[in-house]
Amino acid sequence: MDLEKMTNDKKLYLCKWYFKVGFACLPFLWTVNVIWFFNEAFRKPKYDEQQHIKRYVIFSFIGSVIWGIIILSWIIAFQVNRAKWGEFADDISFIIPLGVP
Amino acid sequence: MLLKDFLIIILKLCLIDWGYAVRVKDVMYEIFDGRTTCFRRLNATHQIGCSSKKGGSIGIIHYVETLSDLTFILNNGTGSSYIPVMPLQLLKPSTLELILANNLVNGIVLYNNSALESYTHERTCPNQLSNLDNTCDIAWNPEGTGLLYRDLPFPIHYVNDDDLHKMKQCFTTFNNYSYETHSKRSLCSIELDAFMFATTNTPTCRRRSHLKTNLNPVKFCDPLGGENVWSTLFPMDDNRPSSKTFVVLAARLDTTTLFQSVFPGAVSPITSLVTFLSTADYLKRMVRDVDNYDQNVLFLLLNGESYDYIGSQRVVYDMQRNAFPLKQESDATNPVPLIRVKDISLFMELSHLSKSDTLYVHNTKEASNIFSVLQANNNFSKIETVDGVLPPASIHSFLKERENMSGAVIANYKHTYVNKFFNSIYDNASNIDYRYYNVSEGDYAEIPQDSIQHFTANVSEMLAKSIYREIIGKDYAGNETTRIGLIDELYNCYLLDADCKVHQAVQRKKLRETPYNSYSLYVGVTVVPNLLTYAIGLTLAWLTGNVTNSTMCMKDTHTPLFQYFNMSASMDNLNTTVCYRTTMNFSEALSPAFIIDDYDWKSGKYSSWSESTWKDLSVRMFLKPASAEERFTLAIGSITMIMSIILIYFIKTRANILFPTPEQNCSQSNC
Repeated sequence: MDLEKMTNDKKLYLCKWYFKVGFACLPFLWTVNVIWFFNEAFRKPKYDEQQHIKRYVIFSFIGSVIWGIIILSWIIAFQVNRAKWGEFADDISFIIPLGVP
Repeated sequence: MLLKDFLIIILKLCLIDWGYAVRVKDVMYEIFDGRTTCFRRLNATHQIGCSSKKGGSIGIIHYVETLSDLTFILNNGTGSSYIPVMPLQLLKPSTLELILANNLVNGIVLYNNSALESYTHERTCPNQLSNLDNTCDIAWNPEGTGLLYRDLPFPIHYVNDDDLHKMKQCFTTFNNYSYETHSKRSLCSIELDAFMFATTNTPTCRRRSHLKTNLNPVKFCDPLGGENVWSTLFPMDDNRPSSKTFVVLAARLDTTTLFQSVFPGAVSPITSLVTFLSTADYLKRMVRDVDNYDQNVLFLLLNGESYDYIGSQRVVYDMQRNAFPLKQESDATNPVPLIRVKDISLFMELSHLSKSDTLYVHNTKEASNIFSVLQANNNFSKIETVDGVLPPASIHSFLKERENMSGAVIANYKHTYVNKFFNSIYDNASNIDYRYYNVSEGDYAEIPQDSIQHFTANVSEMLAKSIYREIIGKDYAGNETTRIGLIDELYNCYLLDADCKVHQAVQRKKLRETPYNSYSLYVGVTVVPNLLTYAIGLTLAWLTGNVTNSTMCMKDTHTPLFQYFNMSASMDNLNTTVCYRTTMNFSEALSPAFIIDDYDWKSGKYSSWSESTWKDLSVRMFLKPASAEERFTLAIGSITMIMSIILIYFIKTRANILFPTPEQNCSQSNC
């Protein structure tokens, strides 16, 4: 899809949908939304729907940052404590590295 | 014209010669046999042994002859990391501390250079966690360093003489001068790859091998184990109670060392194993015409005893749950009678039996008359009785189950092993002073009286006559004797040549290339069959079986007690085969810890040893460039890549100047 060829209300519709679907534990969709609509929200000359798009982009950004923090801290906690958690850590692993405790 | 053709042919021939493909990596690396490497084992709480880094540990070769050579490189080495190539005797705790304190060493290569006084990396008290209480008050193996049970953070490789020569040559050519410039020039280096998959302990690696959520299922470790061998002197096929009371003659089947594929084990277990087989052979011939007996004899060869008595623990466990010698199967009309621990009237175990002036009979707490019987039948050496603490032996597993069992451990040591090379690669033929004489049957004059063959013959004669006295109730009066030729041949089989006459007689084929390590006295893992255990089992069957004239020579499924084998008639007549009927059979020697579903690993009740899996064991030597040169190569590569990206960018942005499009004066179709 090329945003250049889209009407403004179609853009808003798309941006809103990406934002809503992101609530289904899909923070990556929010990140895509931010990157994709950043130019539309902040760098394009003003148009009616821009205000709304801007709001969705900002909220998507906040959401993906929060998610990012959560995921990052989980990864750190898991990697640091994997050996210590023993059986529990093995049970929630999909891949077990070779030759490390 | 002719000249031109001729030149073309010459040119083609030259090109063919140049075109011969040699891969760059084959030119770079000198590849050695990497199998003789230290590897990792695990028990319920620890990991022991060695592992390299993933993909191999690399270090600069430093050839060491004395300790000062080693300290020199530890203090003066300027390279990034080293792998000392040092003699075996330098591998001891003190040197290891020195190496570990200094982060310069990435691995060790060991070579064999001279005879030693003693060399044993076993503990001072073998199997210390599985013995009866107070056993370890005595240092049975006083020279033991316990290195076998240490967790080492780098690989250790044992090198043969040919490979050692190449390493030494490479070291002298490239490394052995101007040590201060080591960081600035190309050096001869070695890569040891022995990366082990399992870590931590057996429960962890077992759990990880059986994970259901794992997307990439890998087996991390295999339990140590193999097969025990058992047989009875008289078949248990009648209802007489005398055929179900047993004098047990037991010996162990396995040894261990620090390195994969080098397991000589001459004193332990080969001396006791050969004495065992020779006793069984003699005893069988003694009772040929006997019909009235008070007791039966159970021959028991136990496997995995070096690792916390795997085999004997399993036998006792099977006896407890009525599954020894075979699991009761419903379709057998003549099931094999059960043998339980309480059916054992006397347990005689053979421990180290290399030549010595005195034999020692270590008695259990429950007194028996066995010492006086042995003494009465002994006419070749001093014999002493030892009360109190038993040496580490398989009998401990049985005594744990039944404290008042009477028995004895027969050995050539009192409180400290005579064998100074217990469980090491020096426990070889020369350690027991063995020489192969290759005599024909009945012609023993060539074998000297003070040889190990004669010693073993004397011990087995004493044992067989004593057991005869125990089971028949009177002294032996026949004129059968022990066969020294057989003893000579058996030692040859286990120490020098696995393709020996006895093995040819029992297996009816010559050994071809066998898969590596399958013909060794190391217990191994249960998933890989140990061919030597089978050969030893068949040998016991051959020596204690009865010749029958069954034409089929096949097992009757309704009578699982008997097995039938076509084997040679005798050692001197390998090509004539006869059918032997035997009670010899195998029983699984896998620790009960691995078959009890909810076994508590922390309890330490059963052996928990497992062996890590690995992908490659390889060793290769190459010339490693100086780090400055490596950085330079990387820099050149990176610069070339960046430059080309920039170049392409400019070309692309100015494409319309560089590649002017022709005037659009033609229609779409004919351009």
